[in-house]
Amino acid sequence: MQHINDRAIAPGTFIPEPDDNRIICRCEEVTKGEIRRAVHEGMYTITEIRRYLRTGMGLCQGQTCARLVKGIVAKELGISPAELIPATSRAPMRPVEMKVLAKEEGRHV
Amino acid sequence: MKRYDLIVVGAGPSGLSAAIEGAKRGLQVVVFDENEKPGGQLFKQIHKFFGSKEHKAKIRGFVIGEQLLKEASELGVKVVLNATVTGLYMDKELVVKIADTIYHYKGDAILIATGAAENMVTFEGWTLPGVIGAGAAQTMMNLHGVKPGNRILMLGSGNVGLVVSFQLLQCGCEVAALVDAAPRVGGYGIHAAKVARCGVPFYLSHTIVKAEGEECVTGVTIAEVDKKFQFIPGTEKHFDVDTICLAVGLSPMSQLLKIAGCEMEDNPKRGGQVPICNEYGETSIKGIFVAGDVSGVEEASSAMIEGRIAGIAAAQYLGYIGIEELEEKFEENKAALEGLRQGMFAPENRGKLIERTEEGIPVSMNLLTKGYIAEDEIERYPGVTHRAGIHPVMECSQNIPCNPCQDACPRHCIQIGSHITSLPVVDESAQCVGCGLCVAACSGQAIFLVQEDYEPGYGTVTIPYEFLPLPQKGEKGYGLDRSGQRVCEAQVMEVKTAKTFDHTNLLTIRVPVDMVGKARFYRKSC
Repeated sequence: MQHINDRAIAPGTFIPEPDDNRIICRCEEVTKGEIRRAVHEGMYTITEIRRYLRTGMGLCQGQTCARLVKGIVAKELGISPAELIPATSRAPMRPVEMKVLAKEEGRHV
Repeated sequence: MKRYDLIVVGAGPSGLSAAIEGAKRGLQVVVFDENEKPGGQLFKQIHKFFGSKEHKAKIRGFVIGEQLLKEASELGVKVVLNATVTGLYMDKELVVKIADTIYHYKGDAILIATGAAENMVTFEGWTLPGVIGAGAAQTMMNLHGVKPGNRILMLGSGNVGLVVSFQLLQCGCEVAALVDAAPRVGGYGIHAAKVARCGVPFYLSHTIVKAEGEECVTGVTIAEVDKKFQFIPGTEKHFDVDTICLAVGLSPMSQLLKIAGCEMEDNPKRGGQVPICNEYGETSIKGIFVAGDVSGVEEASSAMIEGRIAGIAAAQYLGYIGIEELEEKFEENKAALEGLRQGMFAPENRGKLIERTEEGIPVSMNLLTKGYIAEDEIERYPGVTHRAGIHPVMECSQNIPCNPCQDACPRHCIQIGSHITSLPVVDESAQCVGCGLCVAACSGQAIFLVQEDYEPGYGTVTIPYEFLPLPQKGEKGYGLDRSGQRVCEAQVMEVKTAKTFDHTNLLTIRVPVDMVGKARFYRKSC
């Protein structure tokens, strides 16, 4: 599948929808309208959306919303979700407290 | 940093199976799992599995989990729980959080078997407390003994939605409706039939408009959708419920593989982001293997086989066995895997409308839209016969890879033959003794014993029964038909429980003779 990174896509003007205030990313409380608007403001990739709105950056690390956000962005751009480059995965995979991260290498189990 | 020959991430069916195969061949193996209990989804599966003997058919999921754990521990596999793998780096280095400390491990080979996570759909009110994943409901019920709610609406008619709906009923919840936007039931018909005969209404081509409530879910509105999945105005239906369960598919939890730099693809047929791997489950990075849902969403039986293959492949990669052994074992396991991927629910048939069985019999359309086989459809199946005396009636109408019924009968009354997906046939020449072993052996609870000439005017129906408390012998109640409607008065003649039945109790009810072909469930009061 070809990945889309085409800055020439013109998603048109932002037209409000009745469910724009629906929360999509629960952890960071980002709404559908905010995600849609971000696309119209030039955020065409999941990475851009994530940095712009913090979707998928909360406690669950996008476990719930990643697929939903991708669907919304793709629809706004008029492409298939599979054409969007997925978000980068980074360690730590699960939320880890800083004090734990700082406490390395205890006795091995 | 500690080194292991094989590090497995995820102690579910595939991870444990891989660990066992690796350890059998002399590998030093450790399994990390972030949960407090091992087994992955297996310990939540209280129903009997499908397949054949080699697939551990008719054994309940959690028992398979216990068997795998026991075998792994006997082979010296170390299973570390509450151990979250937070990263997978170059040269197969793993970072693991155990309790409040970070540990570093290095695996000469790595197997990622992290499974999948539940998908969500959004609708007005979807963030209200009371909207939960079906898997979450299963975890609450079957792992923690917590009732998820009292009155529940289930969205999704795949096997997860159907199986969890039945388990909710078993746990004492009321299932107000089973809803799916698709026009047809997605899961096995026998799972649907179990739920339907308890009186749960099915709403296909319907989905949720909104969840109602201020602080938590107090109700739900659904509506019919057209072919483009748009709501049809005026078709709204309201239900008072306190819980909404979502069973709308799974996505592979493949992030660790992406962190490691494995080549990935977005493959909707496999559930989303999956690694590109060869037939042994080896990814683009030599020595990093995958098995189970993380490499493509399927089910536990195939996950175990994939795990075995990957475990053996890891042993070969590390030089513990030769290529000949790997190839030989691969062929065996591949055959078992292909056995599971046959029939109407084979991966290539996903989403397709199949109108006829392999035998050429028209598929029950009522089963696909209402969850049960209609009166005028039931007689067409080879397992449904009439004869004098007690005999089995097998309401198995779809080609699924499953055959424990033919081995269950000591008199060989039931035949499936060598083709595992064939519908069961009654051998008219063999004499049924009414032992009920087939009724208990059918993982789909689709076999009934019927006696039309029990006494003048009355016959008996023996039904598989997995609800507590068990009805008492002599008790009077009602017979319910396949749709869960009360059709007659019924008296409990016998309640049989035996160790070989493995908690599937046999309930024999006496019903008017014209009801022996209709009554398929019993309830004391309606």
